[in-house]
Amino acid sequence: MKPLHILKTGGAALATSLMALVGSPVAAQGVLTAPVADWTGGQVTCHILQVILEDELGYKVKRIVMPAGPAIWEGVRSGDMDFGCEAWPSYNPISREYVAELGGDGSIAFLGEAGIIGRSSYYVPRYLVEGDDAPAKGLNMLADLNNHVDLFKTLESGDRGRLIGCPVAAWLCEDDKRLEANGINFTAVELGSETAHWAEMQAAYNRGEAFVAYAWEPHWIHAALDLHKVELPPYSEDAFPATGWSEDVTFNYGNPNMLTDHPEAAAVITNSYLTNEQQAGMILAIDVDGRDIDEVVREWMAANEDIWRAWLP
Amino acid sequence: MPDSIKSLGGALRRATRERLTFNGRNHSVLILSLGGLALSLLVRALTPDGYEFPETLAKRFDLAGAVNEAENWLQENISFITRAVSEFMGYWLEKLELFLWFAPWPAVALALTLPALAYGGLGLGLFTFAGVMCWGLFGMWDAAMSTLSLMGVSVIFSAILGILVGILCARSNRTEAIVRPILDTMQTMPAFVYLIPAIFFFGIGGPSAAVAIVIYAIPPVIRLTNLGIRQVPATMIEAADAFGSTPRQRLWKVEIPQALPSIMLGINQTIMMALGLCVLATFIGAGGLGEEVWKALRRLKVGWALEGGLCIVFMAIIFDRLSIAMSTPADRRSLYDPSRLRFRLLPQKWDSFAPARWIESVIDVLWRKAVMISGAVAGLSAAAAIAAKPLIGEEFAALLSARMRSRHGLLTGGVLIILIFLWDSWISGIGTFPRDWTISIREPADGAVAWLAVNPTFIAFTTGTRAFIYLYILNPLDNFFVGLPWWYVLAAFFVLILVSVNWKFAVISVLAFLFTGITDLWGVTMYTLASTIASVSVCVVIGLPIGIIAAHNRTLDNFIRPILDAMQTMPAFVYLVPVLMFFGGNPVTAIIATVVYAIPPMIRMTILGLRQVPENVTEVSGSFGATGLQTLIKLKLPMASPSIMLGVNQSVVMALAMQVITPLVAGLGLGKEVFDAMNFADTGQGLMAGIGIVLLAIVLDRLTQGWTRRQRQALGL
Repeated sequence: MKPLHILKTGGAALATSLMALVGSPVAAQGVLTAPVADWTGGQVTCHILQVILEDELGYKVKRIVMPAGPAIWEGVRSGDMDFGCEAWPSYNPISREYVAELGGDGSIAFLGEAGIIGRSSYYVPRYLVEGDDAPAKGLNMLADLNNHVDLFKTLESGDRGRLIGCPVAAWLCEDDKRLEANGINFTAVELGSETAHWAEMQAAYNRGEAFVAYAWEPHWIHAALDLHKVELPPYSEDAFPATGWSEDVTFNYGNPNMLTDHPEAAAVITNSYLTNEQQAGMILAIDVDGRDIDEVVREWMAANEDIWRAWLP
Repeated sequence: MPDSIKSLGGALRRATRERLTFNGRNHSVLILSLGGLALSLLVRALTPDGYEFPETLAKRFDLAGAVNEAENWLQENISFITRAVSEFMGYWLEKLELFLWFAPWPAVALALTLPALAYGGLGLGLFTFAGVMCWGLFGMWDAAMSTLSLMGVSVIFSAILGILVGILCARSNRTEAIVRPILDTMQTMPAFVYLIPAIFFFGIGGPSAAVAIVIYAIPPVIRLTNLGIRQVPATMIEAADAFGSTPRQRLWKVEIPQALPSIMLGINQTIMMALGLCVLATFIGAGGLGEEVWKALRRLKVGWALEGGLCIVFMAIIFDRLSIAMSTPADRRSLYDPSRLRFRLLPQKWDSFAPARWIESVIDVLWRKAVMISGAVAGLSAAAAIAAKPLIGEEFAALLSARMRSRHGLLTGGVLIILIFLWDSWISGIGTFPRDWTISIREPADGAVAWLAVNPTFIAFTTGTRAFIYLYILNPLDNFFVGLPWWYVLAAFFVLILVSVNWKFAVISVLAFLFTGITDLWGVTMYTLASTIASVSVCVVIGLPIGIIAAHNRTLDNFIRPILDAMQTMPAFVYLVPVLMFFGGNPVTAIIATVVYAIPPMIRMTILGLRQVPENVTEVSGSFGATGLQTLIKLKLPMASPSIMLGVNQSVVMALAMQVITPLVAGLGLGKEVFDAMNFADTGQGLMAGIGIVLLAIVLDRLTQGWTRRQRQALGL
């Protein structure tokens, strides 16, 4: 070996030994991995489970930030993530491919209903319908939209009104078909991402503009903006998409290995059940009062021990 | 057949050159373009709306389905190989990440600042330190360390693999011919196409992201290694052979060292591209700064996202400047006049200003002190090395001490870093960046966006701009292209490329467009073409005047330069939300966002082109009594046109790259197809649309390159 080589390898060895000096701090025993949801409600549901798994069952739960969508499902299916909380069937068409209970191939396990019931509809800002000089007074039903076409016109929509529809094509909202079936003289636009959807609503709301947009409950947007629901024809399986949506029965899910390798953890996740009303208070504390999620969840858990203790196997 | 096509191309070119010359001036380009436009308008007027690619052809082949079948097969059969690769990547990634997380922060800051100081001088050193401090002060230290480790691992892998492949390409023309189109595809294929399928093969988080980054960012290293080795003078190779060197010696002692500046430039571009992907990597859970940006955006916290974006911008600029400084030899020192104070931070020409001299003399004193101390440290270590002669051998001791003296700055820095580590582990823990040291621009940034979004004047401006772009640019172009009969578009592109590039590429392009037809993507491809042309024309209309003014005005130039840097390296996600809030959710917003991303090269290349016009040309033209404007229009702009065309070329490529991001804010076209396919987890459909973008990018790239080349030939360059 040439001296210069020794010098270089010496430097590399020194760097590696410095790295070794620091070392790895986490013992890898009983680590479960789960995604962090994009929406506050999902974060609350999962955080409660995380606290139970960590404090009561002695697991370490590793959380991964990932946009909601197929990436998370692929991650759970491949076993890189162990479980996920509060999946909304409407927004995860891919779940029908993987979850046996929804007609899929069983490569992802169904871990019980999450308890949260999602309700989707169209909304307008309250300032459009309430107040003395509100421009769209009496806009309560879908059919009423035809009385206010001019109010909702834009450059691109021409002589029809513009509905800010479902942002993601994969959610299969069929907004345009619904409008057509009900004879509503509106066109639906698809903004491409949830972020764009809420940003458009927020900006238009701040400017006091007229808009009608798709949204669902529970969601933080209702804490940020004062919205008024436009009632859709009640859901019927045969008439959809001419009607409104069915209720979204959310569920927890996991890699099938969870059932065999971590039966206790799987049982807690399956048993867990949080209603909209129970979740609402926590969402408000986080979104409106801007409090830390961990603090809010632990406070709720201290006050409602009987609820979550019942989930333990 | 090929011969007849070739002669047709030649005849067309001759005809345009000879027959269309009036009054001694060649009007061929003008007349041909006007003629072509008139013909196209006529054809468009004669065809009914809604004239489409024949459905029998479009629905015949289920290529997307075949791809999905193949994916299923691969998932079952080769996952174990890809998992081994990702385990290997993940091992190093985790090691580096944990090291950076738990290392004392001053050591990390010093380790980054020191090379900047050594290679780039005081200015770059200070900038690097300020950038690194920002990571901590914005409260994103851990995130920045994650991104740093992801970048580190993927850039090192790209460099090793890229240099190897580059050497192979330089060895054989056949390998190069095979590799080149693959590289084009890797660079232009939207990452969204392979990001989600990658999860099953490589897992979530870092390893998968590293693989995706290597795929996307490796082409420049390969290209520039190949180029660098091929450009080694033949005489040098002959000399090496004459001295009896083995092929291996020739490679390592002659070719690689000679190609090193070129290779470093390739690595520089790889780093830039890798950083460009670090926000997208969040889509597969890679964490880091991209995660901060994403978390902020999904709650519409623009200020928070901006801080994350700025951290990425700082990282990009630091590595860009550092790698450029490292690849250019430092011989500037000799240019300084020894009788005057050498300025280390401020521009030397400011030395007529007293305050500048005061600042610099203080810096000079400090600098000299630092050099003295580090010289002493180096002297001591060198003495120690000499003293250790019996242990390590005489030759090695001599070399070691010489190296220590010549690189005393780096040595002292290294000693300092080791001391910090020792202090941290044995005396008192320094640990990660202190939490209570913070500065924040969140509130002012949020406030500014919120204020602008409701400001009536500003909203009137955005509404007007949006209406103008929609009514007069996007909508007409969209109607025009989507309505043109497919056979006419094919024929028009064939002729256009035949004249501007060559017959082979004309045939390839026609096949490319036919491919988008048979995969049932004809309409969206035409829309993508229209919106790309719309974005690029806005880039030209805004970028050209700015470039012209900045070329003549140093102050403006200095002012816009960092803004252009930031626009190119700021993740598009950061400004998508404000742009949407200002312009509303519609396709024009997508165009505006594309312009923000794609305009910097247009401005830069205009400035560069005009600056490169020799001084004496302007002087001569001035002495003939031409006004400044005349000189600009008749002389300088034509002479700068190859460079400006290159700017257009880069804007086109970048605008197409942006096509997959704009669907997040109501963009339509092929990008939206990719995006929707991703949401349906339909790899096949995503791949087809992705190939559509790749083909469009390659055709438009070669076409604009062809124009640039013809322009250069016309100017005798």
